[in-house]
Amino acid sequence: MQILFKNIDMKGLANIDIYEKQGGYQSLKKAFAKKPEEVIEIVKVSGLRGRGGAGFPAGLKWSFLAKDVFPRYLACNADESEPGTCKDRELLEKNPHLLIEGIVATCYACQIETAYIYFRGEFQHASDLMDKAIEEAHKKGYLGKNIMGSGLDLDLYTHLGAGAYICGEESALLNSLEGRRGEPRLKPPFPAVEGLYGKPTVINNVETLCAVPWIVNEGGEKYAAIGTEKSKGTKLVSVSGHVKKPGNYEIVLGMPVREIIFDLAGGIRNDNRLKAFIPGGSSVPMLTADKVDVGYDYESLQEAGSMLGSGALIVMDHTVNVVEVTLRLAYFYMHESCGKCTPCREGTRWMWQILGKIQTGEGVGAQVDKLLDICDNMSFKCFCPLGDAAVGPVASSIKCFRSDYDELIKKLEGDKVAT
Amino acid sequence: MSKDNNINITINDQPVSVPKGTLVVEAAKQIGIEIPVFCYHEKLGPFGCCRMCLVEVEKMPKLTTACTQTVMPDMVVKTESPKVVKAQQGVLEFTLLNHPLDCPVCDKGGECPLQDNTFKFGPGTTRMEFDRANQDKATPLSPVITIDRERCIACQRCTRYSDIIEQEQALVMLNRGFNNEVNTFNDEPYTTKYSGNVIDICPVGALTNTEFRFKARTWDLNNSATLCAHCGCNCNMTLASRTNKFMRVETRPNDLVDDGWICDKARFGYDFIESDNRIIEAISLVGGERKAVNTFDAAIQVAESLKKIADEHGPKSIGFIGSPFGTNEELYLYHKLFRLELRTNNLDHKTYSDTPGLPVDHYDFLNIETANLVLLIGSDSAEELPILDLRIKKAVTHKGVKLAILNDQKTDLDKVADLSLKYDVGLDGIALAALANSLATELGIPAVEVSSSDESLTGIAVDQMKKMSELIRTATKVCVVYNPASLTGNSIFMLKHLLGVINKIPTMECGAIPAAPFTNSVGAMDMGILPDYYPGGVSISDSDKVQKIWGDSAFLDAKGFSALEMIDKAESGELKALLVYRSNPVVDFPEGKRIEAVLKNLPLLVVHDMMKTETSALADIVLPSNGPGYDEGTTTNIGGRVQYRKRGLNTTNSPDWKIISKMINSLSEKPIEYLTSFSVTEELSKMVPGYNEISKKSIKKEGKTREKIEYINGSTPEIQKIDSSGKGLRLRIATQLFSKDKVLDASSPLAHHFLPPTLCLHESDALKLDLFNGDQAVLTANGIDVGVTVEVSDRCNPGAVVVPRVSDDQGLLRLASSGSVSWVEVRKG
Repeated sequence: MQILFKNIDMKGLANIDIYEKQGGYQSLKKAFAKKPEEVIEIVKVSGLRGRGGAGFPAGLKWSFLAKDVFPRYLACNADESEPGTCKDRELLEKNPHLLIEGIVATCYACQIETAYIYFRGEFQHASDLMDKAIEEAHKKGYLGKNIMGSGLDLDLYTHLGAGAYICGEESALLNSLEGRRGEPRLKPPFPAVEGLYGKPTVINNVETLCAVPWIVNEGGEKYAAIGTEKSKGTKLVSVSGHVKKPGNYEIVLGMPVREIIFDLAGGIRNDNRLKAFIPGGSSVPMLTADKVDVGYDYESLQEAGSMLGSGALIVMDHTVNVVEVTLRLAYFYMHESCGKCTPCREGTRWMWQILGKIQTGEGVGAQVDKLLDICDNMSFKCFCPLGDAAVGPVASSIKCFRSDYDELIKKLEGDKVAT
Repeated sequence: MSKDNNINITINDQPVSVPKGTLVVEAAKQIGIEIPVFCYHEKLGPFGCCRMCLVEVEKMPKLTTACTQTVMPDMVVKTESPKVVKAQQGVLEFTLLNHPLDCPVCDKGGECPLQDNTFKFGPGTTRMEFDRANQDKATPLSPVITIDRERCIACQRCTRYSDIIEQEQALVMLNRGFNNEVNTFNDEPYTTKYSGNVIDICPVGALTNTEFRFKARTWDLNNSATLCAHCGCNCNMTLASRTNKFMRVETRPNDLVDDGWICDKARFGYDFIESDNRIIEAISLVGGERKAVNTFDAAIQVAESLKKIADEHGPKSIGFIGSPFGTNEELYLYHKLFRLELRTNNLDHKTYSDTPGLPVDHYDFLNIETANLVLLIGSDSAEELPILDLRIKKAVTHKGVKLAILNDQKTDLDKVADLSLKYDVGLDGIALAALANSLATELGIPAVEVSSSDESLTGIAVDQMKKMSELIRTATKVCVVYNPASLTGNSIFMLKHLLGVINKIPTMECGAIPAAPFTNSVGAMDMGILPDYYPGGVSISDSDKVQKIWGDSAFLDAKGFSALEMIDKAESGELKALLVYRSNPVVDFPEGKRIEAVLKNLPLLVVHDMMKTETSALADIVLPSNGPGYDEGTTTNIGGRVQYRKRGLNTTNSPDWKIISKMINSLSEKPIEYLTSFSVTEELSKMVPGYNEISKKSIKKEGKTREKIEYINGSTPEIQKIDSSGKGLRLRIATQLFSKDKVLDASSPLAHHFLPPTLCLHESDALKLDLFNGDQAVLTANGIDVGVTVEVSDRCNPGAVVVPRVSDDQGLLRLASSGSVSWVEVRKG
C-alpha cells in the first residue's frame, strides 16, 4: 500500500507538471467544493494521527483552534531531528508538491492565510527545492490570491532553523520562527489557542500533511479502513542500524516489526543475531529481541513498553555494546538540551558523565542504581518532553540489559585487579 | 472580585478560597504554606523552568509546577507528600550539582533563596562525584554589576526582567544547555537605567553589586527602611550600613509607589552621602574670613540678622528660596519662620510657574494602570522619573492602556505610544490651548482665543491634533501626567484649563499627576513655599482662611516675589537678604552668571545646604543641612503619597528641623520645642489642609495619600505672546537622569552614563548652519559660550535645539533666560 511513497522515485516528480500528471493538486478541487469544517470532518473520520511523534489525531487538533480568532497560522514541522529519522527528508526532497498540496488543503480547512515550513538547519537543499516548488505552485495558482477561485488566499514561506533539536518541539519551533530563543513555551495556552505571534496556530509534521491530499481524494472512511483499529493508515518507517537494507519504508500500521526488519529491510547484517531495537527514534525506550513480533502501531508498541514516536526503527545486533550506545545517546541529549529547566540541563550532563565513567572502566556497581534514580528524578519533572526523551534510552537500556552494565563494570574492575 | 467568584481548593488538607486565576503557589502563601521557588517572581509571572515548586495534584498523572498552575475548583494539592519531597530533593540536587561551594564568601550568604531552600527542602548530601564546572568568578556586566557565572542557576529571572519589566531585552540567555549563560548581545555592557534590580531578584549570588562585593556579611548590616531622595517618585528602598558606613541600597517593594523596582540612580547614586563635599559645620564670614562656628549660634545669628533687615527695610527686603528636595517638616518650618516671624510672602522653590491644586483628581501611580488613556505632557519620564516610566510601560504593554504624548522633544516612550505629537519648543501654551479648544466647543465651554495663524505655529498638523482629541474623547478614564517644570511662561494655567475641559466630558473620569522631576515638589507647594499660597493651597489673599488657620495677625498684605523676581529685586537693591535652602541658583537657575554677580553683592546671603555649591561659596553664613541618608521626615511624591524618609546613617549634627526651629524660637514669642521630626509632622497635619490624616502611624509601611488640595479656579487663561525677539534658535534644556552634578560626581560608579556635551539639532537647521553630525559647535546667549558636539536628529521640530544637561560644569542654564522662551545662537566652533 503506497500512499505517501506512491511514485516517490519517479524522475522529476518535484516538477509541478509531472506532479500534476500524476493527479497532483486534484484534492484541492474536492476540498474547495466542501465547507472548511467538512474537510476537517473528513480528516477526523480518517483517524489520521500526528506523525511527528506524539500521535495526536490531526483532525481533532484542527478543531481545537480558537473560534473566530484571526489571523491563524500553519507551521509545518520539517525540523526532522530525531536520531534515526529521515522520512520527511525524502518526502521534502522528492515530492515537495505533495506537501504543498497538503498544506493548501489544511489551510483551507482551518481558514489560514499564512503558512510556514520550518526546516531543520541542515535541510538547506530541501528548503531550496521547496522554494522552487512554491514558486511553481504560485505560478499555477495553487498558492497566492483566491486559489482556484475558492476565495482562499495563502502565502507559504520556508524558514531554516539554526540547528537545535529542541526546535522540533512545537512551542520551541514557534519561538524560533518568531526569531526568539529556541526554548519550549509554557502550555497552556496551547498553540491552537495562542501560537505563532500569539495567534491560533496549527502545527503538523510533514508526513501528516502529506497524507491529507489522499484522504481528501479518497475519503476519510477509505483511509480509516487501512491499518489497525486505532492506528489508521500507512506510516513511513526509517529503518537504520544493523540491517541489510536500511531505508525508508511505507508500511500499513500494525505490520509486525519482524516483517519490517527481516522482509523489508532484508534481515540483520551478516545474519547476526538481533539484540535489541528502538522502534520510534532515540527518544523512545528500546526493546529486546524477544519483542520482535510486536505490531508496528501506536497501541501495540506502547503495550510492549515503548512508543511509535517518529517512526525510526533502529536495529542493533548482538555485537552491540549497549552501554556505548546509551553513552552516545546521552551525549546527544546533553548536547541538545536547551538548558531552560534544571533537571534536563543538569541531569543530561550528569548521566553522560556517569555513563562515560562506566564505559571507561571507572564505574562501580552502585552507579547503575544512581543512574536509575537520576532517571526517576528527571522523568515527568522536566519542562518539556526532551527531558523524558533523554531518560528513555538510559532507563530502558538498564532495564533491558542490566547485566551488560554489571558485566562491564565487573570485567573492567577485574582488568584493574589484573593490572 | 466577589467571594462568589472564588475557587475553593485544599492544600495539605487545609481549605483556601482564592480568586479565579490565582496560581497555586500564591494560594499556598495565603494559608502560610511555603512552596519553594527560584524562577518564579510575582512581578514576572509564571515561567516554570527551575522545577523547584513541583507539587502533587490529585487526579493529575504527573507532578505539576505550582508557579504555573492556576487553581481549579475542588483541586486537592499536596506539597509534602513523599513524591513531592523526592522531587524537591531531586531538583535541589540538580540545582546544586555544579553550584560552587563558596557560601562562606558569597555576598548573597544569609539572604540566599538557594541556601534557604536547600536548608528547608534539600537532600542533605550530594552524590556528585565529578569536578564542579569552573567559570570565571567575576565578570563585569557593567561598571556596577558583576556576574559570577559559576553561581548562576539559569532561572532567567534577570533576563525576563529585562524583557518584561524594563522592556529592553538587554540581558539575555546565550548558548544552550549546560553552556547557557546570562549575557548581553555582543558582550556590550548591561547599562540600562534600571539594571540594578536584577541584583535583588537574583535568587543566588550570581548577580552582585560591584560596589558592595565582599564589603560585609548581610547579617551584619544595619538596614534602614527609607525612601529615595532623587526624583519625585519617592521609591521605597533599604539603605544598609555597617559601623555607620554606607554599604548598599536595595528595593523595598511598595506596589503603590515603585512596584518593587528602583532605578540605578537610587541604587548606585548614594555615594554623595559620604562625599568630602558635604557641609558638616556652620561657617560664618567674619571680617572677610570664613570661620567654623557653632551651628545654633549661627542659626540665631541668621534669624536675628534677617529680622533686623526686615525691620529696617520692610519685610519685602528679605526672601527665602527653598527647595523641592527638602522634607515637608523642614519646608513647613521655613514657611513658619518667614511668614509668621519675618512676615514676608517672599518664598519660592522653583523657577517655573505652578500652583497647588488640580481641577481634577490627583491621581496616584495605580491609576496609570487602571486608566484607559495616559496623556503624557512635556514629560521625558525615562530621564526624569524612571520608575514612573516603568509603570507607564507596564500599563501600555501589559494592561492595554493607550498612551498619547504631547511634548516638544522625542522621548523613549514614543515607541510604545499610540500617538505622539511634537509641538515646537516654547509653543506649549498654544498647543495646549488648541487641544483644549478641540474638546471644548461641543461641551459648551468657551474656547481660548487662539488665532488660526498662531495655531499653525505649533508644529502639529490640525488633523493630528484632532486624532489626539479623539483619543481623549473616546476614553472613559484619562490619567494626565505632566511635567510643570518643562512648561514655559504661564502654560501651566493652560494645562489646568485643559484638565478642566477633559473633566467636563460626560462620563469621563480624569485625574492628573504633576510629574516634576524633584523629590518633593508637591510637598514644597503643599507646605506653602510659594509667593502666593499658604500651606495646603490657601491663597495669600484669602484673609479669612489665613486668619482662621494661622491666627488673626497672620495675614500679610503684600504679595510675595517669586524666586526669579527675588533675584531681580536683589539686583535692583530692593531685596537685601536671602536665605537659600538646599538650592543652587548659580547653577540651577537661568542666567546663572547674572545671579552669581547679584548674590555676591547681596548684603546678606545665607545658604543652608548639605553640599558645598557654587552658591554656598558666595554665602556670608553657611548652615549645615543633613540631607538624605542622615535626615528624616516626610516627603510627598508626585502621586500625592506622603511617606517617611528614615535616617540611614547616624550623625552628630543637628537635624535641619532643629536648626530651623531654633531660628523660629529665637524670634517667636511662643517658642515650641519639638522632640522629633514627628512632632513637626503632628503639628503640620493640624495646620496644612489635606494633611489632616497624616501621622506617624498612618504613614507607616506604605505611606498615605494626602487629601486633594483645593483648586482655586482661575478665569480662562490667555495665550501668552511668544517672545520672538530672540536671535537664533529656541533652546530646550533636557533633563538627564545621570548628570555630573553634586549628587553624581566624577567618582560616581554611574560616571559611565555621563554623556558628552551634545546639541540635538534638526536636519533643516543643521543644513542652514552648515553643521554635520560630530561637528563641534558653540552655543551663545547672555554673553556666554558653551561648547557642544552636534547630533543631527529629529529630537525636536525645526527652529529649536535640545541640549541635554550633562553636567553642572557645563553651565548650560547660564544660556537660558528667565523669560518664557530662551534663544540661543549656534555656530561652528
